[in-house]
Amino acid sequence: MDWDLLLGVGRFLLATTLILLLTVPTAFVVIQMELKIIAGAQLRYGPNRIGPWGMFQSTIHGFKVLAKEDHIPDQADRATFTMAPWMVYMAAAMSMLVIPFAPGAIAADFNIGIVYFFAVLGLSVVGLLVAGWASYNKYSLLGGLRSAAQLVSYEIPLSLSVVGAVVLAGTLNFRELIEWQLAHGWMLIWQPVGLGIFYIASLAEINRTPFDMVEADSELVAGPFTEYSGMRFGFFFFAEYLALFIMSGIMAALFFGGWLAPWPFPAQLDGFVGTLYGVFWFFLKSYIFVAIAVLLRATLVRVRVDQLMGAAWKVLLPLAMVNLLVTAVAVVVFKL
Amino acid sequence: MRIPGLGILKGLRQTGRNYWAPKVTNQYPESRPTMPDRWRGRLDLIYDPFGEHKCEVCFQCAQVCPVEAIDMSGFDSEGNRIRYGMQEIYDERRDPNAYRRAGLAAAPMRNAARWDEAIDSPWLRGVIDGFGGRPEALVAIFSAIQERYGYLPERALRETSETMSIHWAQVFGAAGLGGFRLLPADGHLVTVCICAACRFAGGDELLEAVRAQLGISPGETTGDGAISLETSDEVAAGALSPALRIDTLVYGPLTVEQGLHLVTERRRTGARAGARA
Repeated sequence: MDWDLLLGVGRFLLATTLILLLTVPTAFVVIQMELKIIAGAQLRYGPNRIGPWGMFQSTIHGFKVLAKEDHIPDQADRATFTMAPWMVYMAAAMSMLVIPFAPGAIAADFNIGIVYFFAVLGLSVVGLLVAGWASYNKYSLLGGLRSAAQLVSYEIPLSLSVVGAVVLAGTLNFRELIEWQLAHGWMLIWQPVGLGIFYIASLAEINRTPFDMVEADSELVAGPFTEYSGMRFGFFFFAEYLALFIMSGIMAALFFGGWLAPWPFPAQLDGFVGTLYGVFWFFLKSYIFVAIAVLLRATLVRVRVDQLMGAAWKVLLPLAMVNLLVTAVAVVVFKL
Repeated sequence: MRIPGLGILKGLRQTGRNYWAPKVTNQYPESRPTMPDRWRGRLDLIYDPFGEHKCEVCFQCAQVCPVEAIDMSGFDSEGNRIRYGMQEIYDERRDPNAYRRAGLAAAPMRNAARWDEAIDSPWLRGVIDGFGGRPEALVAIFSAIQERYGYLPERALRETSETMSIHWAQVFGAAGLGGFRLLPADGHLVTVCICAACRFAGGDELLEAVRAQLGISPGETTGDGAISLETSDEVAAGALSPALRIDTLVYGPLTVEQGLHLVTERRRTGARAGARA
């Protein structure tokens, strides 16, 4: 027996299970933040009945969704119709594998973590497209195509905005990227333009306001989710909020030092305490970005679809190119 | 200078402040709003101890409702259908109901067939135009109508409501003022006030003298059709006690002699109100 292989398989199974288990409470927390923060911005209390301060409202919503009738339209393509929700959900859950929570707390410490992350996150486009097609509903199909157009367009500036940071740090590994930030200061200082592009593009990539054209709750039929009900819709819903957390976490890791504490404190501690310390700072940063995204949703109106596409191709993409070029030139000239 | 993104930051500042601002939600089961004293909650018809509706279809609520939201229909204790109509219909219905509840026989309605008498529309519009269509002139317009027809035909009231753009309930309510008749009656209408103040000041004696003079009881008409006698408790509201009303004009305070003089004088001058000379 190759004990190393067995140990590796066991570790992989444990890590993936833990990540999968982590996705559900994470989604609950993010949904609860959405409920509470938007309520606060609208001078309401928001949910305050279930549990202390209403903190179990989103959990109850989750269980309610489980209890709802699960309906499949007669003409729908059953196989793909049932497959689409978990394609979207798994795209979000799998991309969580490479999130660096703390030193020693990364489910899969790839040396191409960043590439893997963007590749897997892009899979959700397939799920949305399949969902729209399999529903046998023209609104769903249009919604699916709309989501594909948006997500594919923004995938490009999103990925390119990170390449500058990758060139600077010389690694595609999240752990090494954070260690580089420990030595050189947060990437925020080195890549402000990259951060701006990344933030805008990530909002569009995860269908958040002001770029939530895919579902557009108040205006369009629910996009590719039109025919979905019960827990199948719940999976899309969960994936959306999970993606919000993941994007916030990735932004914290790439540009805000990940698990590193801000300046006055020791940036990093050793051992098990260091892991907890890192987890604390990572989650704090991530949830701050989640809160900002939610507050943005309470603040901004939705952009027009032509503005959406125009911004991606005419502004963000050239800007990302220029940013990458300048970074590359600077790295060569100043021997960074 | 326009700075890109500044508007977004301002918006975020606003929503961020709102998040910490006091909330306006009313926490219903724990804190309940204090309602005005006259708040009655959901409108509902209540029942008397015998299980009968207390509503007697007096129509006052419909008359004061500014948006004409209240209408009534139903069945009285004898199974007669009660519906939206002239106030006197309801008066007639109400009184028989009271009789029936007391186990007495009810009197039939008078002249009920003449509600929808045709009217002279151009003339009515001329009258309204003569007053400039002002709503304050409503009572004067009614007086003119009653002078011509001897009462206020329903069609005339409807047309007044439409021409002057006044709610039907308001027109109908104003027509309920003392002195106006909603059903045709014969001759001049003499109304003796029997309100508490008038009776205290000698109204009973006045009524008794008028009855003796005319030889009829309240609710009846003299043999020649010149005078109808009625009683009411709202002729003068106590200010002119004892008071008496002939058609729409109120006289008071009166001695018995003065009252008799007025009645005999009116009987001598005009045989029939409304019949234009």
